[in-house]
Amino acid sequence: MPDVLHGAGPHADHVIALWRVALLICGGVFAAVLIAFAAALLRAPRARRADPALDESPAARRRHWRIVAASTGASLVLLFVLIGASVWTDRVLARVDLHGAQHIEVTAHQWWWELRYDDAEVARIFSTANELHVPVGRPVVLTLRADDVIHSLWLPNLAGKKDLVPGRPTTHVLRADVAGEFRGPCAEFCGAQHAGMVLTLIAEPQAQYDAWADAQRGSAPNAEAPQLARGRHLFEHGSCALCHTVVGTDAAGKMAPDLTHLGSRRTIAAGVLPNTPQTLAAWISDPQRHKPGSNMPPAALPPDDLQALVAYLGTLQ
Amino acid sequence: MSSHCPDARHVAALTLLLAIALLSACEREQRRFQAPAQQPERNAFDTNEGKRLFRWFNCNGCHGTGGGGAYGPALSDERWRYGHTLDDIVATIRDGRPNGMPAFGGRLRDDQLRQLAAYVRSLSGQLHTDVAPSRNDAITSGEPESRRARQATRPDPAVSGARP
Amino acid sequence: MHRSPGNVSCHGKRVVAPKRCPSARSRLLRAGALSLSLALAGLPAQSADDASAVPAQEWPSAARDTANTRYAPLTDIDAHNAARLKEVFRFSTGVQRGHEAAPIVGGGMMFVVTPFPNVVYGFALVPGSVAPRWTYAPEPARASQGVACCDVVNRGAAYADGRVFFNTLDGQTIALDAASGRQLWRTQLGDISRGETITMAPLVVKDRVLVGNSGGELGVRGWIAALDAASGRTLWRAYSTGPDADVLIGPAFRPFYASDRGKDLGVRSWPPDAWRIGGGTVWGFLSYDPELDLVYHGTANPGPWNPEQRPGDNKWTAGIFARRPSTGEAIWFYQWSPHDLHDYDGVNENVLVDLAIGGRVRKVLLHADRNGYLYVVDRASGEVLSADAFTYINTTRGVDLDSGRLRYDPTKEPSVGKTVRDICPASPGGKDWQPSAWSPRTQRLYLPQQNLCQDAMTSTVSHIPGTPFVGADLTIKPGPGGYRGEFAAWDPVARRKAWSIRERFPVWSGALVTAGDVAFYGTMDGWFKAVDARSGVPLWQFQCGSGVIGQPVSYRGVDGKQYVAVLSGVGGWPGAIVAGDLDARDPTAGGGFANAMRDLPAASPKGGTLHVFALP
Repeated sequence: MPDVLHGAGPHADHVIALWRVALLICGGVFAAVLIAFAAALLRAPRARRADPALDESPAARRRHWRIVAASTGASLVLLFVLIGASVWTDRVLARVDLHGAQHIEVTAHQWWWELRYDDAEVARIFSTANELHVPVGRPVVLTLRADDVIHSLWLPNLAGKKDLVPGRPTTHVLRADVAGEFRGPCAEFCGAQHAGMVLTLIAEPQAQYDAWADAQRGSAPNAEAPQLARGRHLFEHGSCALCHTVVGTDAAGKMAPDLTHLGSRRTIAAGVLPNTPQTLAAWISDPQRHKPGSNMPPAALPPDDLQALVAYLGTLQ
Repeated sequence: MSSHCPDARHVAALTLLLAIALLSACEREQRRFQAPAQQPERNAFDTNEGKRLFRWFNCNGCHGTGGGGAYGPALSDERWRYGHTLDDIVATIRDGRPNGMPAFGGRLRDDQLRQLAAYVRSLSGQLHTDVAPSRNDAITSGEPESRRARQATRPDPAVSGARP
Repeated sequence: MHRSPGNVSCHGKRVVAPKRCPSARSRLLRAGALSLSLALAGLPAQSADDASAVPAQEWPSAARDTANTRYAPLTDIDAHNAARLKEVFRFSTGVQRGHEAAPIVGGGMMFVVTPFPNVVYGFALVPGSVAPRWTYAPEPARASQGVACCDVVNRGAAYADGRVFFNTLDGQTIALDAASGRQLWRTQLGDISRGETITMAPLVVKDRVLVGNSGGELGVRGWIAALDAASGRTLWRAYSTGPDADVLIGPAFRPFYASDRGKDLGVRSWPPDAWRIGGGTVWGFLSYDPELDLVYHGTANPGPWNPEQRPGDNKWTAGIFARRPSTGEAIWFYQWSPHDLHDYDGVNENVLVDLAIGGRVRKVLLHADRNGYLYVVDRASGEVLSADAFTYINTTRGVDLDSGRLRYDPTKEPSVGKTVRDICPASPGGKDWQPSAWSPRTQRLYLPQQNLCQDAMTSTVSHIPGTPFVGADLTIKPGPGGYRGEFAAWDPVARRKAWSIRERFPVWSGALVTAGDVAFYGTMDGWFKAVDARSGVPLWQFQCGSGVIGQPVSYRGVDGKQYVAVLSGVGGWPGAIVAGDLDARDPTAGGGFANAMRDLPAASPKGGTLHVFALP
């Protein structure tokens, strides 16, 4: 489980700080209430044995009312402190500078994340899936969309939780101030593989990010060696191309992750399996074993063909 | 007061029942996904998967989103050029047909073909109400499949092989 | 309009092509020319390729002449006697799909191309003959029927130098000997496995047969090609998307507007690789100006229809190219609908006319686009002189004549998962392929058009070669007023309609106008009509038995009489509900047209007949 109390950006930092304030206040109030309750329980027998016809003394009554008034006053003050802290946090977060923001369109599908990196020059737009790279220190504006059911993006180390609702695009802002790898599991139940839909966010220095983005913009390399050519042929003319895209080939399916740079990702199947030739082969031959209920059908390929396909996919760096 | 105290036998019986109930909870629901579609026409999951595949593979482009036809013939009416049974439709999708229906056989598994064929039959109301899909996520394209009146099936004389 | 057509945008604006700014000496010359042309302004305007250059007994190409006037210089039939027209010949083609072709007349014969299977009939124009002299059956691949978006139509042949040229649905161009019907050559240009077909009528220019492809709805990359008329060898092919080298854009390319200038815009105005499946097919009619030596052709919509999958201007789709016929090199381009949102193909015909505008005669082209605007464009430079709505429009708010760009209304912009309602004009546009006719006598453009709106919802779509690449579901419905079709006479100088006739169904047939001041058109419920070209008063009509969506022609027969010929046989995109037996219980069937044409099956059965009319 990720440590949700470890903030790596201003949004998470402020929200965690607010949470701590609320924990402190609410914890303190809780403790005070418990103490008062305990005190009342301990005193109770004495009160029962006392004569009910006896009035409490005026001094005692004034004391009691002062305690009530003070407690109420303190509660009000603490409530306003909480409201104030919340409003202040909102203002700070709303003023995060968005100059030079990278715009990314995130579309949630059952059960994978589609990412499209926008650019003013449309020929520089590229698509990838499940692994979101961002440059450290630069704001990122995410447009959140969904294709089928409601999903939710939850990146506790970077920014809060926001739903992706079909038909209602919305915006989410984050900024990573520390390099690292962060998990973003889906946080709204969306079907059989809701738990198997993890967005991996990788924050890296600007130079590394630029290198990654430039590589993502390239088309798939030509596959000339016989085994690779066979693998590519299987991809384009078998079932793969019906759903997947590899830029630079005839495969232009839009219903499943873009695989043009599959080799550059650390995991496959939206974080379910690590990305190695063995797991890739296992995933392709029986996806239902690893992610039961996912929309990927098993590919009934003879071992040679499977090897050729996996070898070809390995060239998609 | 003593008549309300449960005696030892009652306690033992209740404990036994409780134990049995707890043991039965050990059997978790095992759902088989993408199990071979034995009788897709009687299975709502398979029919709705067929509906998803109908859009994913662009069947809706040639045959209309609600099966009314466009480049290809209508699937929602009573006319069938190449047969109306599930196996006939599977063969049509798998092998293609001479007047422009492409062959998907090498690209789709048997399960998917059968799911698609079941959905195609639902377009003309051949399937039970509780199995056929009952909603669209697209613009209205006619009655939902589960509400379509069952069409009679008859061969379409104007085609299959003969030059128009 | 705040700028007069005579100015060029030099003063006060950054000029990219400074050679456009006239120097003082050239201004003097121009002033001299202006005063001369003012004197000439009293003369009636000519068409680029004078209609009388084509003999009265011929109709050698679908649009009659390379200027696309469809004007027959025959006066026998006029407003007084048109009511007496009789059908003098009828021939059943044996095919029952949409007949969009024009009967072609040349060398004493008439040539008719049917819809798939594209049989060609050669009739000898001798009195008393009832059967064709020859029949040619090209036997195109049957699978091509499955990749034809809008019925399996063919728009006609072309006759030149004793040869007949036509295209088949499966992507071949074929040349026949006109007298005998013997095949001279056939060339395979298109690949149906990628969804490519050919439906257009070729044009013969300088011994080259110009052909363009269809298939924009299947992600086919558009092109126009020139074949050698004698051998069928491909001389050049210019694509509508991709790098400049593929589009045949070179040093001679001078688009008028800044947004059409730049290197490799056919790649840079698309996301990576999207141009390879980007559409821009060339399925409309071609025009040619022999003086300027320019061929004009439109490019169709970009693919897919869902615009969110292809951000950018999507060059060079939904626009018009002017090219040299010998080499295909592009001279100028203008984009009617950049980043098209509604399937507004740019392939509608360009009628070449010389008009007196703003005090001088200008060589222009008239173009009624799908987007609903009637454009008057300087055909030498590509400058848009005016663009006025000829139908009800709410998808756009006019054309900015400074930048040349269409101004879209953002509330009608589709978004995946959102239903956008009342989009006007609908995807078939204010006018679709159905060609207009120009009369130099009345100075009017006769527009067959429709009045349709639609509700639409876009969705993400995969490109699977040979299957539709659209990503949009439509429901088409009648436009404001409730009528679905119209036949109008447009005055391009006054920039408005002179008169119009409302019709129940879209007027999907071509227009014909004659020197006798009679205009002809057909309706989808089977009426072939003649109206007074000056006033629009109906003169005559004939019930053909099936909807008329063909292109009417008129010629002088061997006996000296004037004949009018047209094909009936309902179909095409709006008629698919009949021709394809669609089920209108699904309103999105037939690309959304089933909803708008539910009453067509009762009004018109299938058919396929050639009709010839004359005065008794």
